Amino acid sequence: MNVKFLNPFVDAATEVIQAEIGYVTRRGELRLEKEPYITNDVTVIISLIGQVVGNVIYSMSESTALFLASRIMGETFTAINGLAQSGVAELGNVITGRASVKLANAGFGSVISPPTLLRGKGATISTLDYARLIVPLVGDWGQLETHLALREANGARVVEESFAAPSWNPARERP
Amino acid sequence: MDVNFMNPFVDSAAEVLKAEAGLSVTRGAITMHKSALTTNDITVLLSMIGQVQGVVLYEMPFATALALVSRVMGQEFAVFDNLAQSGMAELGNVITGRATVRLSQAGYQATISPPTLIQGRGVTISTLDFSRLVVPLVTEHGELVVHLALRQSASDKQNVGLIPLVVESQKAIG
Repeated sequence: MNVKFLNPFVDAATEVIQAEIGYVTRRGELRLEKEPYITNDVTVIISLIGQVVGNVIYSMSESTALFLASRIMGETFTAINGLAQSGVAELGNVITGRASVKLANAGFGSVISPPTLLRGKGATISTLDYARLIVPLVGDWGQLETHLALREANGARVVEESFAAPSWNPARERP
Repeated sequence: MDVNFMNPFVDSAAEVLKAEAGLSVTRGAITMHKSALTTNDITVLLSMIGQVQGVVLYEMPFATALALVSRVMGQEFAVFDNLAQSGMAELGNVITGRATVRLSQAGYQATISPPTLIQGRGVTISTLDFSRLVVPLVTEHGELVVHLALRQSASDKQNVGLIPLVVESQKAIG
């Protein structure tokens, strides 16, 4: 995990939360983890593919998710229903999209995947040999933990090599 | 979800499981789901981006995962440790990678993300407004269920699968 990928996400999240939710955000203390992530109530997963490759995970409690969804959609949610899920996933999408623009400006072009939303505490999510940089984002709106499991890609090697080899070794380090 | 996207995955999975694990695979009954998926023990998640985009999930019970990984890696796994996780994720990666080659031969270019592995039953995974085509692949070690939440994307629009809110939000941010 390259730390230069951090600021685009922090800046993007701060800007998006300011614009969409109307609150100030500050960054908590960073951590680097190799261990799998144990899910909180609501998790949004988005992949990046390009000169920077990997997964971004946004994790939050149900109350934060409800608050954020209510502000984004302009109606009060009391349960994480389909519309609230859509709102939270969209927030992840907009933050990641904005961060990818900033990354592209810094010379790392990438495309982002559609978001996937997980609900339920206590599952483990492993990004395998991608270490995660964990960035807590805090404000009066709640807390959003951003997990960045990203790497600089080595050309087109990422996808092609993994299935071109007739006999593969899963223990081999992925590019 | 376009059913044309299914066969590349079924064929790739059958080939890979035959070549790597020596297993023959039969396809179970296909279903289409709009609602969220409730996880089985092990789920491998990969995203696809390109002319086909969306999410591919492979889910299975522990016993199936352990048996598959043991055969693929050529050593017995009794617990789903890091090496087993890596092997399982790689299996998803290889099947999906092969499927993208077939998709590109059919005229749909796509790139896949690194795999993410989810462990834990009963979590719900929503692919939001992407409906899922669910394809069970039956092996002698149990079922490997493939979920395809894929869409053809318009060439001029990268995020065609997203809800209209994205347009508003981008405007609001300027």
